[in-house]
Amino acid sequence: MKSTRDELLDKVRAALKRDVNSIMPGVPSTARISPRSTGDAEAERSLLFAEIEKLGGKTRRLTHSANLKDALQDLMRVEAIKKATLWQTTDLKELGIEEILTSIGVEIVSPYASNRVVAECDLGITGADYALPETGTLVLRSSIEKPRTVSLLPRVHLAIIRPNIPRADLHQVFDEVKRDGYFVFVTGPSRTADIELTLTIGVHGPQALHVWAI
Amino acid sequence: MSNIPTHIDFRSNVQHVPPHMPPAVRKATTKFLGNRADVVNQLGTDRWEMLRQAGHEIRLHAINHLDHYLTQLEEQVTRAGGQVHWARDATEARSIVLQIAREHHIKRVVKAKSMATEEIDLNHALQEAGIQALETDLGEYIVQLAGEMPSHIIVPAVHLTKEDIADLFHQKLGVDAAPEPTALTAIAHTKLREEFLSADMGVSGANFMVAETGTIVLVTNEGNGRMCSTLPPVHVAIAGIDKVVPDMASLTVLLKLLARSATGQKISTYTSFITGPRRVDGENGPQEFHLILLDNGRTRILQDESARETLLCIRCGACLNVCPVYNQVGGHAYGWVYSGPIGAILSPQLLGTSVAADLPFASSLCGACGDICPVKIPIPKILLHLRHRVVEGDAVEPATTSPIIQAGVQAGAMALGTPWLYQLGSQLLRLVEKPLQRGDWLPNLPPPANRWTMVRPFPAFNADFRTWWERRVGKPRTNKRLRNLALAVIAIEALLFVGWLLLRKRKR
Ligand code: SF4
Repeated sequence: MKSTRDELLDKVRAALKRDVNSIMPGVPSTARISPRSTGDAEAERSLLFAEIEKLGGKTRRLTHSANLKDALQDLMRVEAIKKATLWQTTDLKELGIEEILTSIGVEIVSPYASNRVVAECDLGITGADYALPETGTLVLRSSIEKPRTVSLLPRVHLAIIRPNIPRADLHQVFDEVKRDGYFVFVTGPSRTADIELTLTIGVHGPQALHVWAI
Repeated sequence: MSNIPTHIDFRSNVQHVPPHMPPAVRKATTKFLGNRADVVNQLGTDRWEMLRQAGHEIRLHAINHLDHYLTQLEEQVTRAGGQVHWARDATEARSIVLQIAREHHIKRVVKAKSMATEEIDLNHALQEAGIQALETDLGEYIVQLAGEMPSHIIVPAVHLTKEDIADLFHQKLGVDAAPEPTALTAIAHTKLREEFLSADMGVSGANFMVAETGTIVLVTNEGNGRMCSTLPPVHVAIAGIDKVVPDMASLTVLLKLLARSATGQKISTYTSFITGPRRVDGENGPQEFHLILLDNGRTRILQDESARETLLCIRCGACLNVCPVYNQVGGHAYGWVYSGPIGAILSPQLLGTSVAADLPFASSLCGACGDICPVKIPIPKILLHLRHRVVEGDAVEPATTSPIIQAGVQAGAMALGTPWLYQLGSQLLRLVEKPLQRGDWLPNLPPPANRWTMVRPFPAFNADFRTWWERRVGKPRTNKRLRNLALAVIAIEALLFVGWLLLRKRKR
């Protein structure tokens, strides 16, 4: 007996008057859409931050990693942070985030704890692998060191990024990440307009997004 | 109770549109259209048109080579450790989900917004099997609590006021909240957060499926799509076979079109790219990933070259927003999950014209839908094609108008086309209408024609066209050819009118 799969594929082929050996023309090219004109690296970073701010995100440039402690202290005060969890990447480790947070009295929760425990954190700190300045988008990959829930469950999401992550357009990002099992584009804090079309920030995802460049 | 309709009576539904619905809907559509215009201008109209053309070509290419891309998609999803299922129709798709649920002893399901799952009425099937199925998109959650259908594809609960929602939360959730969007959102957040954490299965649709990599793409603003595909140990995605696109490069075009057309955002808040289950133990993400590829009438649409482009749709909702008919009646009148112009062409093809024959007529054919569609679906052309199918039948389906009415239309055409019959008929008509006539009007006609006179009087037939013309304008001084031409035009219009009238009054 023919499987549902084969039956459906046969139906599709019959409808299209094709068979298994029909030739496959190439995909219509997207190349004729002229690439967006990008500014220099500095302009791109400014654009990225401007777009994130437009969406209700908060951005900050730290000229030196020594300023990190002050910045974290500010954040802790403004967002009333008591518990935090973070990516286990070398980038974040080298910045000594965990040590700073502990020293200012924030409790550190392992990102490998259960979802329920991670969800109780006030703050989740991640990096970002790429960024798209045109839309204010951060691209986050997934791995053991980069648990997906850190940018999703805590109330506040802080992404600490390197200055070299902006990419001109989606093409450049997809070229790098398309073989990944999972990646996510994050553009501003979570939002809805489902009740009387009133924009409400903070639904299921984080209510606040902070992006800092060092 | 099933939400899959067996008959959609658009006109009767229209009678039941609550008066507050159209203004609420118009508020949403106006806002989205304004936002859309802004982002399109920012991008530049030329660039936008280039994107639309490319979007059209890419989608058409995918649909025209669907067998190839579906096979490739299946191969890639399987290679990534996911399981692919094929479903002929709603019943099969539901039983596949139930089977997966049974195998894992699933009790609680959280759902991200998905038209495909509404199309197969999955929630009822899960509930009947004793499984709780909760919508997690805020708007969908609200309409689910209210036991209603979405009124707009992007903002499903737009017809409810904040006071309605506060009442609803009070009744169904037992919580008192100020009728303020922020407070109400916070309540839903708390309720649903608990559900996300305790759910054992997440169900989603897919905005796109990428054949090249076996990736499904989920677009949401609230973050519920990420929750459903990240937290529960099992993730099931259900999508129509039409959702496949060739490669990631295609997405560089389609993602730009989607958010701009839908809400007027440059990009939605979250776009997840999911290829199979988590790759290694210890990584976040589901341990199991299932993809259900749903036909449910799509291969039949594929057969019909004149309507095939219906399948290009990326469900942005822009055609609803511009549609004058949709703006007057809202989503419920369309009787099913798909509303507006796309509903008017999609529902009759998925459900069959015998179920949704009204819908292709629920349009003024103004053309705005085709002009705004980001993938350039010729919606007006397809509407006409489907009207033709309803009345005369075609290779896909026979006519759904009753034989009596068809015979009536044919007789009418003959009478109007044969001068002596026409003359005779006009004399007879004047005799017949006499007892009903009040001045120049016929205020009450017998059934079934009374469906007209219930709403407005019918003008009395005073004379055939020639006599009428002579009385009004005097003996025609135009030459014979011109007069005949005018007559022919009027006759055709009258014919169309009679046909339309009969159709609307046809037996249900
Ligand atoms: S038919 Fe076009 S405009 Fe309408 S929802 Fe589909 S893609 Fe959008």
